[in-house]
Amino acid sequence: MIMSLLWLRVAVFLYGIAALAVLPAALYDRPRWRHIAIPATIAAVLFHFVSLAEMLNAAHHRMPVDTHETQTLLGLLLALAFLLVYWRYKTVSLGVFILPICFLLGLVPAFHPSQESTTVPFVHTGWIFLHVALLLAAYAALLLSLLASLLYLIQERRLKQKSPTLTWLPPLETTDQIALKALLFGLPCMTAGLLIGSLIAQVTVGASYFRAPKILLAFAMWLVYIAMIHIRRIAGLRGRRAVYLSSFVFFVVLAVWAANQFSSVHRFTTP
Amino acid sequence: MNPSKPQSRHQLKPTTTQGRLVLLGINHNTAPIEVRERLAIPSTRLADATRTLLHQPGIREGLILSTCNRVELLTLQDDTGEAANTQPQTKADLLRFLHEYFSVPSSDIQPHLYEFREREAVRHLFRVASSLDSMVVGEPQILGQVKESYTIAREVGAVSTHLESLLQRTFTVAKKIRTETQIGSSSVSIASVAVDLARKIFGSLQGKTVLLVGAGKMSELAARHLIQQGASSILVVNRTQSRAEKLAADFASPTVQTEAIPFDDLYGQIPRADIVITSTGAPQKIFGRSHGQHFLHARRNRPMFFIDIAVPRDVDPRMNEVEGCFVYDIDDLQQVAAANLADRSREAAVAETIVSREVDKYHERLQSRDAVPVIKALQQQAEELRQAELARSQSKLASLTPEQRAAVEALTRSLTAKLLHPQLTALRESTRPKDTD
Repeated sequence: MIMSLLWLRVAVFLYGIAALAVLPAALYDRPRWRHIAIPATIAAVLFHFVSLAEMLNAAHHRMPVDTHETQTLLGLLLALAFLLVYWRYKTVSLGVFILPICFLLGLVPAFHPSQESTTVPFVHTGWIFLHVALLLAAYAALLLSLLASLLYLIQERRLKQKSPTLTWLPPLETTDQIALKALLFGLPCMTAGLLIGSLIAQVTVGASYFRAPKILLAFAMWLVYIAMIHIRRIAGLRGRRAVYLSSFVFFVVLAVWAANQFSSVHRFTTP
Repeated sequence: MNPSKPQSRHQLKPTTTQGRLVLLGINHNTAPIEVRERLAIPSTRLADATRTLLHQPGIREGLILSTCNRVELLTLQDDTGEAANTQPQTKADLLRFLHEYFSVPSSDIQPHLYEFREREAVRHLFRVASSLDSMVVGEPQILGQVKESYTIAREVGAVSTHLESLLQRTFTVAKKIRTETQIGSSSVSIASVAVDLARKIFGSLQGKTVLLVGAGKMSELAARHLIQQGASSILVVNRTQSRAEKLAADFASPTVQTEAIPFDDLYGQIPRADIVITSTGAPQKIFGRSHGQHFLHARRNRPMFFIDIAVPRDVDPRMNEVEGCFVYDIDDLQQVAAANLADRSREAAVAETIVSREVDKYHERLQSRDAVPVIKALQQQAEELRQAELARSQSKLASLTPEQRAAVEALTRSLTAKLLHPQLTALRESTRPKDTD
């Protein structure tokens, strides 16, 4: 078996343990389970990182070119985001959603590795890796923000209904901070990712590249993202309207992602 | 076991060779306040009382727990002599101590007394320290009170080997119950429920501003709870400005900024507050739904928490429909407190299971510890016999080579060990608790 696959399977197994342990840790506030969930996630992230590095090294390219490699990197970034939130806010509640996502994102690449390969020479440069990693970090931040906004909505509803017995939900101000800071973190990532991608495209393909609808959609996504942050900051948007706005941007991002799967532009793999 | 019921089943047979554990006391279930207050010992006199208890005949170690809800004497008594083996005698001795020390007739105390011995005394102590026997189950103060009694008893030399290990185990069990159950995680008083709700909205209360509209004991109490949790600014509004100023001065401290606001400025100043506690005697509502919208707009949608303690209410309940406004009246707070109390009862059932398990473990450990000296004595006796027999045969074994001597040595050791094995096994088994216990 390829070593990278073995490490990925170990990481997926650990994500599975963490995803199960985080349920009693968050829902019933059992510290003992938190002591399993957090170390399991840290170990999973380490194995995941080693697996990804070996996977890219074995494929002799620095860019996660196929769907599985991209999924793996996104899972890794989400797990890192969860650990970062735990370190800063001492809440594991988001893990109830994020850790199963990490588990599922790793599951398919771990047991059905992709056979896709690439012949495009420029994917071997470090800039390309940065472009992909930064954009995936922005996606992860957006997903985190959406989940935090959803938790805000649930907590707000419980408080409004005068039945605040769900102790596992973080305070409103905490979830609001997580949602906003995740967006603020995602913005420079998305901007830099798009900028690096544009420069590479300009050098390798030329100006015609920017006339493709899919590429234009990516820039539209960036504008929507900026608009969302602006509205949230200026109007102090919270609660239901913030969730609607985050969901809208999230679906724009999903559309960009899906377009990547169906269009031949900006695709560098051969089955 | 409920202490309110008289104990009919005691473990009369001593389970330890190191003394008899007896716990005698009264609590809020067995005695009215009129009796409890006559037996209450202030902390300044606890050392003297413990010393006096220790000087009673037959008492080897002792500890007195005295709180507003209970007075309990935990003693380790001599288990030699016939008097000590009779239950009524030891009870009478402790009763006499209570009678003499507090000058309260025994007849006034006896009907309210409960008594636990050995295993049940351990169970009761674990339950008390874990707050399972408290008036408000899960309240956190009792463990501190048990620790304080322990510290005093230790200082006067009333706690040594046996009670030391029992009390250390008690603290471990109480901590375990705190961490493994949620018995103390939810608030059951109105003021603490209000603080809990504020924390669910704002997280940390550090730097938050509280506005008191009107004055009342409960609103003051809630404000003090919020200050304890980190609220750093108190604004006070009252129709009588001098009363507002007096109340603001009462709250002033190096860490808390206070300000008395004229009643006319109320609506203009209210957006400064994160938490508003209202308890005016106004006959109609002073805050409507539209006020909520206006306040939120002025605060750029930062949430506001209204605690309406007034009856009739000061805040229109429809303000709760405004996104970012959370309005709780006195009934809402009481309902949350009642729900939390029900949660605590569920957690108490889990805690009782932990206590039972821990009592078994403690008992098992105690009994194995009691068996150790007997086992050692048997082994030593057997070894002495073996050495004596070898010495007797010294002349006959003189011609043996060193290897043959070693073989004989090993043979005799093995024989002794095998002969002792059934007895030692039986002894260890006998110290283990029976399933039927």
